Amino acid sequence: MSEETESQLDNVQDNEDDLITTEEKSVSYPLKVIYCPECSLPLEYCEFMPEAVLAKCREWREKNLDVLEQEGVEMSSLTLDEPSGDKKRQKRGGRGNLKAKQKKEPEVVRIAKIPRGKRKFMTRVQGLATFDVNLKKASKLFAQKFSCGSSVSAADEILIQGDVTDDLIILIVDTWNEIDEDHIEDLGEVKR
Amino acid sequence: MFRKFDESENISSTNQLKSSVQRQIRNTILEQMPSIEPYLGDLWHKKENAKVIKCHDHIEILTVGTEPLFFKQRDSPWYPTLKLLHKYPFILPKQQVDRGAIKFVLSGANIMCPGLTSPGADLNMETEVNKAVAVHAEGKINSLAIGLMKMSPQKISEVNKGIGIDTIHYLNDGLWHLKIVK
Repeated sequence: MSEETESQLDNVQDNEDDLITTEEKSVSYPLKVIYCPECSLPLEYCEFMPEAVLAKCREWREKNLDVLEQEGVEMSSLTLDEPSGDKKRQKRGGRGNLKAKQKKEPEVVRIAKIPRGKRKFMTRVQGLATFDVNLKKASKLFAQKFSCGSSVSAADEILIQGDVTDDLIILIVDTWNEIDEDHIEDLGEVKR
Repeated sequence: MFRKFDESENISSTNQLKSSVQRQIRNTILEQMPSIEPYLGDLWHKKENAKVIKCHDHIEILTVGTEPLFFKQRDSPWYPTLKLLHKYPFILPKQQVDRGAIKFVLSGANIMCPGLTSPGADLNMETEVNKAVAVHAEGKINSLAIGLMKMSPQKISEVNKGIGIDTIHYLNDGLWHLKIVK
């Protein structure tokens, strides 16, 4: 091993010592890095998020303080509040604020009837994912209930073979409490 | 490279790799990052099938299981993804930027020379031009970007102007958020 990599390893170890206070002091790879579930970055980078996201990060940390401590993270070194002497922090240039995550789409489930030939139809359901529904399971459920084919056809789209619009609305409302009849929009017959 | 990158738009196809091609890739990765050798078996089991995701602009992402591990563009060397680099931080040589630069790097800016030469930064003199480096930051443990050296360290400290490191992959970019559904 070259000197360079060795010194790097040492470096890593130093850093690691800061992180892990309990249990094992020696480094074993892979390192476990804790990511903030709100902004998806390592905890130390939360502070660079735009204010909207930052607030969520803060909230999550407060809730999970004990868990984090168990993992051996020293939260004191990772405060999100700006140090008071940091007023000189550069305010100009760059893109300024990173955009906060795009707004969630309005939560609507759209149901459409797609003609296949003259008198057969498919039913297309879009927007279930906005309610955090597991699409695969949903499509399986539809297939079972309506005894027909059903598949997840795009990122947020389920195709059901046959015209099941009316039954589908009832089924969706019954199965997922968070979805109300008002959330469902029936588009009627739509060309594909 | 991944500033604007969207799963539904930029991916053209995913392919299972032939085992002979896998072997080739494995060897080139080992050649480029020899220090990963003892661990490569752990993160990429021989039996496990690797896939290559082909994206627009000749980007290829190598995934094993559900995790993207390496990526490259055209004939570039293979770069590790940041998640992988966080687990094995020694596989790339390090460069450290000062605190003021973090914000800009996180929004995808290339790394300018002054950010590498100021007191908070640490310019690693043992890196070469056109080699991949891990970009670390003042006071931070984990790396925040992966870059390609555009100038030699000597030149960076001499000129102290312009782009020193091209930012290729950074925290919060499209690749960072790429989720692979099996």
